[in-house]
Amino acid sequence: MTAPAEEDPVEQVRALLGEALEVYADEPAAASRLSAVRQRMDEPLRIALVGRVKAGKSTLLDALVGARLAPTDAGECTRVVTVYRYGRIPKVVLHDTAGTSRVLPARRVGGGLRLDLGGSAPEDVAQVVVEWPAPELEAATLVDSPGLASLSTDASDRTTSFLEAGDGVPGVDAVLYLTRHLQPDDVAALTSFQAAAAAAGRHTATLTVLSRADEVGGARLDALQAAAAVARRMSADPAIAAVTSAVVPVAGLLALGARTLRHGDVVALRALAAADRTAVAAMLLTTDRFLRAEAPVEVSPTVRAGLLERLGLFGVRLAVALVHAGIGDAATLADELLRRSGLPELQRLLQVHFTGRGRQLRVAAALQVVGDLLRTSPRPGTEGLAEAVERIRLAAVDVDELALLARLRAADDLLPPGLRAEAQRLLGAEGTAAASRLGLSGDGSAEELRGAAQDAVARWRQVTTDPALDRPATDAADVVLASCEALLTGLGRAPALRT
Amino acid sequence: MPTPGALLDRALALTALCERPDLHRRLTRVKQRVEAPSVRVLVVGEPKQGKSSLVNALVGAPVCPVADDVATTVPTVVRSGESPRAELLLAGAAAGDDGGGTTTRLPVPIETVAARVTGTAAEGVLQAEVELPRRLLADGLELVDTAGVGGVGAAHSPTTIDLLPSADAVLFVSDASQEFTAPELAFLTQAAALCPTVVCVLTKTDACPDWRRIAELDRAHLHAAEVPAEVLPVSATLGVLALTTQDRELQEESGIGALARYLRREVVERAEALSRRALVHDLSSVAEHLALAVRTELRGLEDPDGREELVGELEEARVAVEELRRRSSRWQQTLADGVTDLLADIDHDLRDRSRVVTREAEEAIDAGDPGPAWRELAEWLDQCIALAVADSFVWAEQRSQFLAEQVIGQFTADSGTALPELTVGSAAEALETLVDLPAIDSGALPLRERVLIGLRGSYTGVLMTGLVTSLAGLAIINPFSLAAGVLMGRRAYRDDKAQRLSRRQSEAKSIVRRHLDEVVFQVGKQLKDRLRLVQRTLRDTITDTVDEMSQSLADAVKAAQRASRSATAERDAQVRAVRQRLAELDRLARDVRSLEPGLTGGTR
Repeated sequence: MTAPAEEDPVEQVRALLGEALEVYADEPAAASRLSAVRQRMDEPLRIALVGRVKAGKSTLLDALVGARLAPTDAGECTRVVTVYRYGRIPKVVLHDTAGTSRVLPARRVGGGLRLDLGGSAPEDVAQVVVEWPAPELEAATLVDSPGLASLSTDASDRTTSFLEAGDGVPGVDAVLYLTRHLQPDDVAALTSFQAAAAAAGRHTATLTVLSRADEVGGARLDALQAAAAVARRMSADPAIAAVTSAVVPVAGLLALGARTLRHGDVVALRALAAADRTAVAAMLLTTDRFLRAEAPVEVSPTVRAGLLERLGLFGVRLAVALVHAGIGDAATLADELLRRSGLPELQRLLQVHFTGRGRQLRVAAALQVVGDLLRTSPRPGTEGLAEAVERIRLAAVDVDELALLARLRAADDLLPPGLRAEAQRLLGAEGTAAASRLGLSGDGSAEELRGAAQDAVARWRQVTTDPALDRPATDAADVVLASCEALLTGLGRAPALRT
Repeated sequence: MPTPGALLDRALALTALCERPDLHRRLTRVKQRVEAPSVRVLVVGEPKQGKSSLVNALVGAPVCPVADDVATTVPTVVRSGESPRAELLLAGAAAGDDGGGTTTRLPVPIETVAARVTGTAAEGVLQAEVELPRRLLADGLELVDTAGVGGVGAAHSPTTIDLLPSADAVLFVSDASQEFTAPELAFLTQAAALCPTVVCVLTKTDACPDWRRIAELDRAHLHAAEVPAEVLPVSATLGVLALTTQDRELQEESGIGALARYLRREVVERAEALSRRALVHDLSSVAEHLALAVRTELRGLEDPDGREELVGELEEARVAVEELRRRSSRWQQTLADGVTDLLADIDHDLRDRSRVVTREAEEAIDAGDPGPAWRELAEWLDQCIALAVADSFVWAEQRSQFLAEQVIGQFTADSGTALPELTVGSAAEALETLVDLPAIDSGALPLRERVLIGLRGSYTGVLMTGLVTSLAGLAIINPFSLAAGVLMGRRAYRDDKAQRLSRRQSEAKSIVRRHLDEVVFQVGKQLKDRLRLVQRTLRDTITDTVDEMSQSLADAVKAAQRASRSATAERDAQVRAVRQRLAELDRLARDVRSLEPGLTGGTR
């Protein structure tokens, strides 16, 4: 997979984009598309958080960043598309629909940001770009979007148009789809992302998050286990697996609360755990009771309100139970809450599916845009460019891999069912490391990996010549075989080169 | 105060005595209605909002399945019964049944009913019915947990909407973690147009700290959409806990008590008031009909000289009624014209809606290769059609109600002058009979359709669900799926050859057009059938009224003639007997008036 530096596809694509820009300099639409793509080559991946209204997108974004950046509220709150990207100093820029932009004050409030549109009406705002010095944003730029199925249809429309992003440059590279409960409408939304991407030969990966997982079953103590069971059942549903890479439950509020747990919170939680258990259980019955002025514990109503706001009722119940179970020190408590929130698993999946493939995704997207342009408006002298596109495509196996992965998702009968899952794995659907591709655990020896890779090559070579398969299937098998061979080459370079 | 039952019995005895079998029949029907009151409350809402938990908390028993995942796929009806009892309505099941046969009822232990309608155990179960001895249910209140058909999204809503006209109230369940979404409010608007009472229940207030804010936001949304619905916050969890601990304070805090009171006050009592008003109308009109003959006889007996004049008057009135019946009078004109117009409008409306869908589908097909995206396209089409059909249905329903009002109004105007002594009844009361459109006997339908109904719905419900599923490629008999199969075979591979692409596009378009034609035809037929039912009901109601009038007048004439024939000696005895009967009728009329809801504090 790793090509020598002088053949680095990213560099090649950059050069290609430069040449194309020169050729199409006199065509403003094409030039702007090309320069947008070139700019994106140097940026981190863009991951959009999309979902129904009130699915918890902003809260999850905050949890992923580890700071309260996105405005959240009980009512519908996010009304404009907001891009959060890395910057050394906090900065907020508002781009309006008229094409002008202005800098807004970036007010820090308690380690977070107070976002204020500065008097602009949401419908006049194209997008807001927030730069923030959080290391999490270096790996990926996050995009918060207004909810789908919102009562203010403008807000929903803004999300839809941002995702579709008209002129062929997709607004995002990957989608985190949040839903509290996967309904047919959600599957339809996911399908349409998939269909739009597959039609353009683009691999827009989607991860589905069962958000607000702490609210399952009325915030019972086992709410997250219950949510995990639901997620497992959904992942096993072929209709859902066809449109999304994975389904994970995440309690965004709990994760954010855990990541920003304060000393005062821990003291209050300890006080709650130390008080009479029955009395505290009665307090924790409902949020109203928890907030009552008179209480059997030495924790002031203001502190309790703060706890509830930051951890949620489930978070408080869980934290008190954890302290009862003997977890007393703040760091361990925070870690345990975070672990249970499901956020670490989501971060791992983001790495496997999105950020780990950033280079591939960007090269594929750029080749797609240039290829389309050359096809739709050919110019004298662009033959060289077309050749370059083809050359890079051939050299970078992973571009074909991505295209095939996209197609395998969209069409479930491209390969026979027995081969499909293995093909997806070998193409890197579960991670691009050799062990993940081969379906082995991470600690296998180089020898084992090589053996498995050799088996895979032999098996897929057979598939490519299988007379029972039709042409599209053997073409697909060729791509899988190329991946296996590249994999073997990569492994073979290690201790002893064998033929 | 005399009870409605006792009054009915007295009136029945009098109709028998006066030899009026037509009125006797009418009262027998009324009696059946009074004896088995039914106030149906649909519990609807998006999945996972706590519909089943709410029903369980209201009746204080775990009769509806509650789980973290989608639990219920089968609707559960909870009504009153002397002892707890549960039954499942199963499809087919009789040995050798090939699927076109009947339904079977299977009694199950009440503790297991929730488990029997969950997951794989629910296969073949159409509906669960639970009877419980509860004060809340005692007056005929029937709670229908519409889980499974109760979604308000595009795919589910037609079925739910189809049930609305037969419901007395709708409990719309939405949890306190967020304000209404666009589909929710759209559903509420439709529901308010079709159902007399809509209540929004804000559930899970125990776990959501901001439920007061959400309730306010929801009220503002309802106000903006002009939906006259209350928002009642409840916590089913607390309600159940309050029951187990017998904690009154908790019970109040849960809001379940307030909801139950609201249901009794606004739904049960209102339905009672309505049915009582219909009863008063029926009874007093029967009393008037009977009194007419008796009073005439008495007048003939007391004033033998004036009887020629009396008979003449009566004959005149009778001729007028005969005229009213024979002549193609104005109400019939209104009805016939109205139905013709409505039929044409329904056709046009459907075609218009289908044209819009066709155009959008064709645009989508032109934009890309329909091969790979066929399944998505079919699903999209399915949703669009479901939505269009639902709108069409709501519209047709409102139009037919309006027509019924007009026809009754016209009839009242026509006959009012001819027959001053007999009341005809208001449009609203005649409509009561229309609102209860006959429910389908689920046993008579072929299995394929029955599985899809779930609940007793009307014909359109059956049809729409049938369409929804057949579109997904389920029905083999559907001509659509045959042609679609050809496309499906190819969708795997993106073929860029322009010629084949354009052929595929035109093929796809013709499939879509053909399918929509079929939909328009089928839905149009069902809507028309429904309209014909309205037409028939109206015609029969009015014809019956005319027949009764005519019979009463004929009896009156006969009575007057009888009076003139009798000898003086018998006359005194006769006068006494007739006076006694008249006094009895007057007493009945007076007692009936005392039932008037207006006097006992009823609503509306």
